[in-house]
Amino acid sequence: MRYLRLLWTFFRVGVMGEIAYRANFFVQLFESLLELGTAIAGLAVIFSYTSTLGGWTPDQVLALVGVFFLVGGAIRLVIQPSLEQLIESVRDGTLDFTLVKPEDAQLLSSIQRVEIWKLTDVGLGLVVLAVALVRLGSGLGALHAAGFAAALIAGGVIVYSFWMILATSAFWLVRVENILMVFQSMYEAGRWPVSIYPGWLRFALTFIVPVAFAVTVPAQALAGRLTWQVLAGAWLFAAALFTAARLFWRAGLRRYGGASA
Amino acid sequence: MMLQYRASLVIWLISHVLDPLVYLVVWTTVSRSSGGSVGGYDAAQFAAYFIVLMLVNHVTYTWIMFEYEYRVRHGSLSFALLRPVHPIHSDLADNISSKIITLPLILAAAGILALIFHPVFQVQPWAAAAFLPALLLAFGVRFLMEWTLALAAFWTTRVSAINQVYFIAALFLSGQMAPLSLLPAPLRLAASILPFRWTTSFPVEILLGRVGWTEALTGLCVQAGWILVCLLLLRLVWRAGVRVYSAVGA
Amino acid sequence: MDNAAAIRVRELRKTYVVSEREAGAAAALRSLMRRRTSEIAAVDGISFDLSSGEVVGFLGPNGAGKTTTLKMLSGLLHPTAGEVSVLGHAPSRREKDFLRQITLVMGQRNQLVWDIPAADSFELNRAIYRIPRPEFRRTLEELASLLELAPLLGKPVRNLSLGERMKCEIAAALLHRPRVVFLDEPTIGLDVTMQRRIRTFLAEYNQRFGATILLTSHYMADVEALCRRVLVIHHGRLLFDGELAALVQRFTAHKTIVVRLEDCTADLTTYGEVVSCEEGLATLRVAKDQTARVTERLLADLPVVDLTVEDPPIEEVIERVFAQGTA
Repeated sequence: MRYLRLLWTFFRVGVMGEIAYRANFFVQLFESLLELGTAIAGLAVIFSYTSTLGGWTPDQVLALVGVFFLVGGAIRLVIQPSLEQLIESVRDGTLDFTLVKPEDAQLLSSIQRVEIWKLTDVGLGLVVLAVALVRLGSGLGALHAAGFAAALIAGGVIVYSFWMILATSAFWLVRVENILMVFQSMYEAGRWPVSIYPGWLRFALTFIVPVAFAVTVPAQALAGRLTWQVLAGAWLFAAALFTAARLFWRAGLRRYGGASA
Repeated sequence: MMLQYRASLVIWLISHVLDPLVYLVVWTTVSRSSGGSVGGYDAAQFAAYFIVLMLVNHVTYTWIMFEYEYRVRHGSLSFALLRPVHPIHSDLADNISSKIITLPLILAAAGILALIFHPVFQVQPWAAAAFLPALLLAFGVRFLMEWTLALAAFWTTRVSAINQVYFIAALFLSGQMAPLSLLPAPLRLAASILPFRWTTSFPVEILLGRVGWTEALTGLCVQAGWILVCLLLLRLVWRAGVRVYSAVGA
Repeated sequence: MDNAAAIRVRELRKTYVVSEREAGAAAALRSLMRRRTSEIAAVDGISFDLSSGEVVGFLGPNGAGKTTTLKMLSGLLHPTAGEVSVLGHAPSRREKDFLRQITLVMGQRNQLVWDIPAADSFELNRAIYRIPRPEFRRTLEELASLLELAPLLGKPVRNLSLGERMKCEIAAALLHRPRVVFLDEPTIGLDVTMQRRIRTFLAEYNQRFGATILLTSHYMADVEALCRRVLVIHHGRLLFDGELAALVQRFTAHKTIVVRLEDCTADLTTYGEVVSCEEGLATLRVAKDQTARVTERLLADLPVVDLTVEDPPIEEVIERVFAQGTA
């Protein structure tokens, strides 16, 4: 649809801009591999002492790590750079240029920057996922795949809406970058299945900073542990949060257009 | 003087509480599914380990490597060089003053975690006495080491890769991810030969009674030795770095 | 085209609520308990019409309300009161049809993406404005030749000089052939040659494409060279709306007489205020109604080689206008 075509254009331009800087790709690859190696080494240490972690087998946790990298990569690819730029543009007034264009300003602000080399994270995530799926074997069918896709989409919408709400607060607050970094820190907790955490932490990681919906829930689909109730809940939450983000954004624009000079 | 790296103290606080909390839960889960204890640690002992680790980490941590990466990227390194006093003093002052401000918060967090996870402490009096010097020496080793490493910013702008390697090594080898005794032998050896064990894990080991008093004493000497080594390295690298920086005419 | 006004503004008003606070600790404490607010009118009831194809200059000192007015015309700010209609739309509704026909250029602020070549930013705009490729290519070629863009398009924007960047900014803003062009201090910070270049371009663009151009500026030279019609704004009020020549006429009290004599020995103070005298070239400031008589006397009394009567520099005129507006 139209929005996808626009996103593709931004993508293309982002690629063209970076393609000359091949060194950046190798540095990014190095860093991503290090991160992945760390995650797997950690898994190795943990699973040298046990055969399950809160009921999750090593291959299931490996799948979780794959989703963690995939989703984290997607966030760092478009959502984070674009919304960081949005926050700056609210501060220095270049948001005016976005507002004067004949396209939805929220859409433009959400796709305006693409950090193309973060595709390595996405790629590595997919590789890990593939390895995990192979090892998990034929226990998985089309239903699991569908559940995974559905959970991933819901999780993506939830994470995007959450970031959008945080970024929109820049219309009212000053040092919003710090709030964004809270997500970074808390996202780290998503390396492990959220179900092992005590109830209060699980709640925080589900509804306050939606890490669970982004990583654990899709991984649960692959581990065959996803119930339709949770999936339905994810979609409901996604719809609600997306609407809330949209309304909040409109309120932010009204403030920007009323009180600035 | 405010440091320029923009992450606020609250952010550091969150990750300083969240990271040990996550590993605490992970290892407690592991121990529960392995008959109650793993490698000499049961749930209550894991709680004790990670809560003390959290406090020790907060006392010894620095953000100086990010700070220098930021300074080099934004060209404000010259400020540090123009001052009459060696910049390490102001960096040290900033570090300590920030910690004094956040110390009550981290203590509160430790208290809350203790209420939730019921750690078990058996602290010998001599261990309590040895803890403080070990902690201070640990801070010395860590601060000097990370300050010297931060100077890599003089030679390359791609310090993020260097920083990452360092922090990953620290994650495993300074006991942040798991008590060192749970790591495979080669890693344990590396942790003791390199300064990592002496920056964070060692004070924790002392307080929790995981080392005998002879080992504690030798450990303190090793820490002191590392401080001397780091001081020497720091002086050499600093002089070389200043030469490089001024030669470039930045 | 149509004779209906392209831009119509009636009693436009924009007020801000500001909390008042004096300096000092006591005042700070007081302000915690009771917030005293006052209203500041950035734009205080202005009205004007612009027809399609006009090139108009908004003149005024800092804080006069020029940029605020511009932002209300482009839909960025909601007016507090009054009517605004641009091309038949209410700008603050930000309808897509409306936005597709206008454009905004702001001096010292870039819409171009910093790290990539300008050509790529153009491509983004093409996609956003849905410009068909053949049309896009044609427009780009014309703009490139008018602005001499060819060597600049492949370089990342951060490697361009300020003037080159401004040229690319303007091109990016015009790719979709807007009917109304808003420019906010477009030549600020540029060197004189580049300023002239851009003025020439804007004039040519207006000729060729018939777009309505509204430009705010500090620089008299911009307005002089480009706009036949000038709106002078001060303290949010419209002090003058008409031709530049009329502005000079109405607000000058003086004329400047430049006389060429043999040397500077004669005492000229009896004729008027002596601004300067160098190697026989004297500049005198004379009250407007005295000009004829002083000229007569100079020609009669002194060995005049040459004599011209000039209007005072426009800056002076404008300052008078502002001074009057404040009074």
